[in-house]
Amino acid sequence: MGKKICWAIIFLTVALNVVMLQWAIESYLGHEFEKLYQFSIVALLSSFIALIAFLKWRRLEYSQ
Amino acid sequence: MKDNNRKSKRNQTGSNDELVNLVNNVNRKEDLDLNRRAFLKATAGASVALGLATIPFSVHAMIGDFEDKENRVGIVKLSELPKGSSITFNYPTDHDPALLVHTKSGELKAYNSACTHLMCPVFYEKEEEVLLCPCHKGYFELNNGQPLAGPPQRELPLIETEVTNGIVYAVDRRYRHG
Repeated sequence: MGKKICWAIIFLTVALNVVMLQWAIESYLGHEFEKLYQFSIVALLSSFIALIAFLKWRRLEYSQ
Repeated sequence: MKDNNRKSKRNQTGSNDELVNLVNNVNRKEDLDLNRRAFLKATAGASVALGLATIPFSVHAMIGDFEDKENRVGIVKLSELPKGSSITFNYPTDHDPALLVHTKSGELKAYNSACTHLMCPVFYEKEEEVLLCPCHKGYFELNNGQPLAGPPQRELPLIETEVTNGIVYAVDRRYRHG
């Protein structure tokens, strides 16, 4: 996995998390708690993926 | 000879020579802080922060008391509410303002009357048979509570009603309906 792929993954996770946060707030206000939990789980997984991608990028970036 | 002396002093500390000012990097700190690496670090941090920001809502949903318990509340005698009129009441608690409308066609429609935009009270517009939030001109469909125009994005919570012995009762509330 190259550095550019890491960049792309991180940007995709930002976009996904923005949408998940918006939907989570809408679900919370609409008392749709099942959906809220689903969106939270997706957002947390996305955050974890972003963290992994960042660590990978950092290793590649600073090993040169 | 004179030119040579001038040249040698050019890079001395405190020199007023223009070239010194050209090579001196006055924004060195910004160059170190605002670069490609720092940008990606901030982006990754933002992604993680956005993901974590969903947790408080889930936690509050888990521990909060959100259950709409069966709560039957008498609102008004139907005979006291002619067609084309409305009355305000509170449901399910005293802190939840609501609006009961007897439409021109004879139906009873009840919604929580706090606008889903910024919680301003919503009123019944008899002429156009719509619900209006005057704060920012938000319009809601009278028949289903869905937003028609203006800033509101969500429907008004629907209050289910029953008529027993000529008295209108509020019996339940639904947030998402249609």
